[in-house]
Amino acid sequence: MPLHVLIPLVVLGISGIVILTHLMGLSRPRVFRDAAAARAAWLRQYPEDEDSVRDVQLSDDARAALVLARSGPGLAWTIGIDTTARPLAGARITEDKDGLIFRFPDFAAPRLHVRLAASESRARWSAAADGAAA
Amino acid sequence: MTDQMTYPDIVNYAVPFFIVAILAELLWIVLKGRGGRYETRDALTSLLMGAGNVTSGILLGFVAYGFFMTLWALTPLDLGHSLWVVVLCFVLDDLRYYWVHRFGHRIRWVWASHVNHHSSQHYNLTTALRQTWTGTFTFMMIVRAPLILLGFHPAMVLFCGGLNLIYQFWIHTEAIGRLPRWFEAVMNTPSHHRVHHGRNPRYLDANYAGVFIVWDKLFGTFVPEREAEKVDYGLVHNLGTFNPLRVAFHEWVGIFRDVIQPGLTWRERLMYCVMPPGWSHDGSRDTSETIKRKHLVRHPEDRGTPGFSG
Repeated sequence: MPLHVLIPLVVLGISGIVILTHLMGLSRPRVFRDAAAARAAWLRQYPEDEDSVRDVQLSDDARAALVLARSGPGLAWTIGIDTTARPLAGARITEDKDGLIFRFPDFAAPRLHVRLAASESRARWSAAADGAAA
Repeated sequence: MTDQMTYPDIVNYAVPFFIVAILAELLWIVLKGRGGRYETRDALTSLLMGAGNVTSGILLGFVAYGFFMTLWALTPLDLGHSLWVVVLCFVLDDLRYYWVHRFGHRIRWVWASHVNHHSSQHYNLTTALRQTWTGTFTFMMIVRAPLILLGFHPAMVLFCGGLNLIYQFWIHTEAIGRLPRWFEAVMNTPSHHRVHHGRNPRYLDANYAGVFIVWDKLFGTFVPEREAEKVDYGLVHNLGTFNPLRVAFHEWVGIFRDVIQPGLTWRERLMYCVMPPGWSHDGSRDTSETIKRKHLVRHPEDRGTPGFSG
């Protein structure tokens, strides 16, 4: 197929599908219903922690959670309408006006902005990360 | 020898069909409220990966084609272009696909290219188009060498590979349940391929087939989809990004970081490239074997069932 046909076809096709998907309301991000949903998201990736999750704390927007488990502290978070999770070992943390920014040593999960208004919450999450680094 | 034989670039000609089929699946899911899931950014990433794959084929396709034409110049065999030769080529190329695909899951260097196809947590027709940008660098073109040397023209081999890819498009859907038993017995189907995209311990390293599922049955890698165990799509460690560049290159970066770790022997550095995904020099990570073994410790009742019988 000549490129002058293929390129517009691909561009229009991708644009059309994405616009339609968005207009159908399929861009709304997931939030964790409760701590149990965040725990399930953690266990989905680290099932060996099944009996050892001690605590789960949700972020203000319920799109991320601090999970304390035997394997160490970690974060579970929503991505699109799905979830992922990473241990906090090796993560660097900075603070901005809305919360904490976690930078993971992982090219496939480089950065997560967690909304935490209360300074006590920020301190607790930061302390967990410091504990993982220690 | 027939050096100038041409076949249509059928994958490019299939693009309009891909677009129409995706729109039909999307509408079906939204209107019926079942048959799969769509999410805008996930779909966009998959489609951009598909566009990148076509681009990479245009830019780097000459490497494989040059290799094949060199082999074609060397071989004294020429099977011609009759229909039965094309059919035989298609079947043998599907066997080639099975092994390349199996290598793609068992050799990290090849997995680095293939992983992006598994990086979506969705399973819909856009997932089919989430294809590699870096296939040339796996050198898996070598697996096609026997076909050329046996006398199948390179253009025919690539044409059959294109047909194989187009066949696999429609099986990336949850909108189709099970097909008639005879079809499920011989052909790769949505049900069989859903298993292949599963991150459940049971479904890891199963159903590598392209078109004919018989290869998995022949080589012991077939696992049927179970009603009682819904497929959980994606990677063992799911990505935290929709950025296509990170999707395309994350495992290559992972290999690089592992290989340059201080204190490793040269053998260990090599092993990080060629051992199965999850291998580590100190055993600190999980391969599919250790994931299955740990699952059986937690769920001994699964021992001996499909996916855990090895």
